[in-house]
Amino acid sequence: MIGAVSLAVIELLAVRELVDPKGPWLVLVFLGSAIAAGERLNLRPAGRVALPLSYAFFLVVVRAGTPAEVLATMFVSLGLAFVLSPERTLWRRVYITAVRVAAIIAALFTYRLIIDHVGFADERWIVLLALVLAGIAEIGVSDALTAVSARSASFAMHGRTADLAIITTGALMAISYNGIEGHAGMGLWGPVLFAFPLLAAWFAFEQVIAIRRTYDQTIVALSLVPELAGLTRPGHAARVAELSQKLGSDLGLSTDQLDALHSAVLLHHLGHLCLDFGDPSGIEIAERDVANKGAEILRQTEELTPSAAILDGTDGSIASDILRVASAYDEISNGDDALSDAAIESLHHGPGFSYDVRVLAALERI
Amino acid sequence: MQLSRTRSTPAIQETQENSASGDSNRSRSLDRLTIFALALAGFALAVATLIGRNSPLPDIAPLIVFAALFALAENQVAVLPNRASASASFMLAMAAVVAFQGQGPLLGALIVGLAGGLYWPHLRSGDWRKILFNCSNFALSSCAAAAAFTPIVGGSGERASTVLLLASVPAALAFSLVNLLLLGAVVSISTDTKYVEVLRELRPRFVQILPFALLGVFMGRLYIDYGAVIIPLFVVPILVARHAFASFLALKESHQATIRILIGALEAKDPYTAGHAERVADYAVMIGREMRFNSARMERLRFAALMHDVGKLVVPNHLLNKPGKLTAEEFAIVRRHEAVSVEILTRIDFLKPVAPSATTEAHSMSEGADDSARPIEPFIVAVADAYDAMTSTRSYRRALPQEVAFEELRKNVGKQFHAVVVEALITSLTRAGAQHGAGFEAAPHEFAVEPPIVGTGSAGLGDLAEGRPAVAPATATVDALMAAERINDVARGRTYIPENSNEGAAR
Repeated sequence: MIGAVSLAVIELLAVRELVDPKGPWLVLVFLGSAIAAGERLNLRPAGRVALPLSYAFFLVVVRAGTPAEVLATMFVSLGLAFVLSPERTLWRRVYITAVRVAAIIAALFTYRLIIDHVGFADERWIVLLALVLAGIAEIGVSDALTAVSARSASFAMHGRTADLAIITTGALMAISYNGIEGHAGMGLWGPVLFAFPLLAAWFAFEQVIAIRRTYDQTIVALSLVPELAGLTRPGHAARVAELSQKLGSDLGLSTDQLDALHSAVLLHHLGHLCLDFGDPSGIEIAERDVANKGAEILRQTEELTPSAAILDGTDGSIASDILRVASAYDEISNGDDALSDAAIESLHHGPGFSYDVRVLAALERI
Repeated sequence: MQLSRTRSTPAIQETQENSASGDSNRSRSLDRLTIFALALAGFALAVATLIGRNSPLPDIAPLIVFAALFALAENQVAVLPNRASASASFMLAMAAVVAFQGQGPLLGALIVGLAGGLYWPHLRSGDWRKILFNCSNFALSSCAAAAAFTPIVGGSGERASTVLLLASVPAALAFSLVNLLLLGAVVSISTDTKYVEVLRELRPRFVQILPFALLGVFMGRLYIDYGAVIIPLFVVPILVARHAFASFLALKESHQATIRILIGALEAKDPYTAGHAERVADYAVMIGREMRFNSARMERLRFAALMHDVGKLVVPNHLLNKPGKLTAEEFAIVRRHEAVSVEILTRIDFLKPVAPSATTEAHSMSEGADDSARPIEPFIVAVADAYDAMTSTRSYRRALPQEVAFEELRKNVGKQFHAVVVEALITSLTRAGAQHGAGFEAAPHEFAVEPPIVGTGSAGLGDLAEGRPAVAPATATVDALMAAERINDVARGRTYIPENSNEGAAR
């Protein structure tokens, strides 16, 4: 509490010091606080790098202030965000701040370039165009820098709705604050109210993440049951899952296939529980039966039907070979790297040569 | 208040399905519904003509824009647990009210509202009564909002933000009031319930819709200043949020179904407990509803109840279905399932706080313990679990009558069961007129050998102890605490009494 108040006071003084006292410094303080808060709220749609809500607020500042005011607000608010950042390492904080600075300067530059060099700069279409392009520049630079540091560029259209939400909201907030073509703006009411849909979007994306996590954890938890029943060795499902993901990406499976394989692997002993294991009459249960029973269960669900096909081998793809090889490998090596050569060897000459050669080759590579 | 798809229409749809399966009063309530819809439409028409004669006609372009958006919003409504996002149409009504200031706001709002009834599934099925009702309802509600808004802003384009914001409060009130009253009437007619009761059920969430009123007002003002160019900027974030919510709901649905099916399929290994988890989850939800849990908490309760017996999977079939006594070694294996259940529930972050739901120990209420600090969920699962165990047939005894189960639950309040939870279940079941237990089982079993008909909750012992009377009298005089323990054991699937112990007295 004390920390928050003192930070607010520091921000107030800093902006006041940096900005012309006759200018809208109080508004800038408010927007700066919104930016610092927005840094903590990221839109995180599946398959896209997280986008902070602060990018939308920056568009308001870019339009509301002179370049000097924009930069002052930027430094103060990012400084605040730097202090409040949840990132542990200093290096990550510096890196994120640097990305933001670059993104905002790109936005400011784009906006000014259009507004200052077009004669009829208060025309609604020009202002909107400048704001939208500034938003695109902001997000583009941010994504490009992230891609460079992660060494993987992705131009997938997944999760681009988040970009749309940020840019349109930013533009709407900016023009509602100032007004164009001599129409009076709404003041801070505009940005405050128009932030609601964006916050709703943020909340919805967070809900999606939470439900996905719960589901994944449920599958992992269920994968532990055979182990707890003493049917497999400790860690079997987890190790096979990891190995099969490696094999799968090495053999070029798509993301969807990898996901289906992941669930299939985690649940590949589940069928065992439904069969009469541990029967005192001592009848061994065949691996085939376990797989078929498991597939029968999974097939009842829409979500896991592809995994069922992998489990009983009816999908005919390499995924089910991966599953069998990875499982057999782990049963021999038992997670011990020293045994890996021997394990591969015995798979090659294993019972009936039933393992797929391509998968075995990939296993050797890994 | 987003009245249309989330509240009104599902209500209408449901009731009609209900009465379709029903009988004679169906046609009567349908007729009354028809008359009501026609009367309302006539009234709306009369209002429209009356206003139309004394006010200028609004511009055609914004009329089309807002009407189209309104219809679109109504067709895009995602049904949310808290009914929040569906307020988009109300927001558009407010935007139209502002945009038509100075050029017949009442008539403009009325016409725009008409478009709200054009719900595609209704159009496709040709359900003209619902269309008629929804059109008139939205038209009259929007018109009421305009009527409340216009005098305050003074008719001719007041633009100051504060005045607009102030005026939107009575407008939101008027909209939700008219909407609520009309909706209540239709639900009351079609379900044959008292109007007052329906209103209480539907009670407006005025605070929730106010932000949408403010947003709508600002949208309308921006529209006056800048025209239709503003609309995409406004609509896109809302659509993004809606889309994300829709995918969240779809994911939730499919994940829940998946978990349910997995649990159900695994549970099938013990024919006597088939459907047990599902039923326990249902009872738990009933209790939660009675105790006014919010939707997030309800979600977690349901999930935990569904998963509470997952550890049973580690118990081999031949032990689960073993007809005779268990050896100490076998019992150890059977008992292990609770630890496994807890272990598994703890792996799921969202269930971690309620993981004790899967243990017997956690629900036994030690005297003087302060249970306000502990989550109540485990107690709920315990009661739901015991109730289902008592009212369904197991390999070692038949289902008990419902009254006996109630009595048994009440008897053990404070020792093992939580008083509030027990009463919540009983109230909820009684109110719903539900019947479980002997004679009312969902899936009566076929028996090769009929299980014994035994007494009360202590029943589970029928097959276990040779040295004691297998059938306890219905008014068992056994120490109540012991009975409680047994119920719980029954609920967990199996009771064990060491072979050589002189049980009964010994404990």
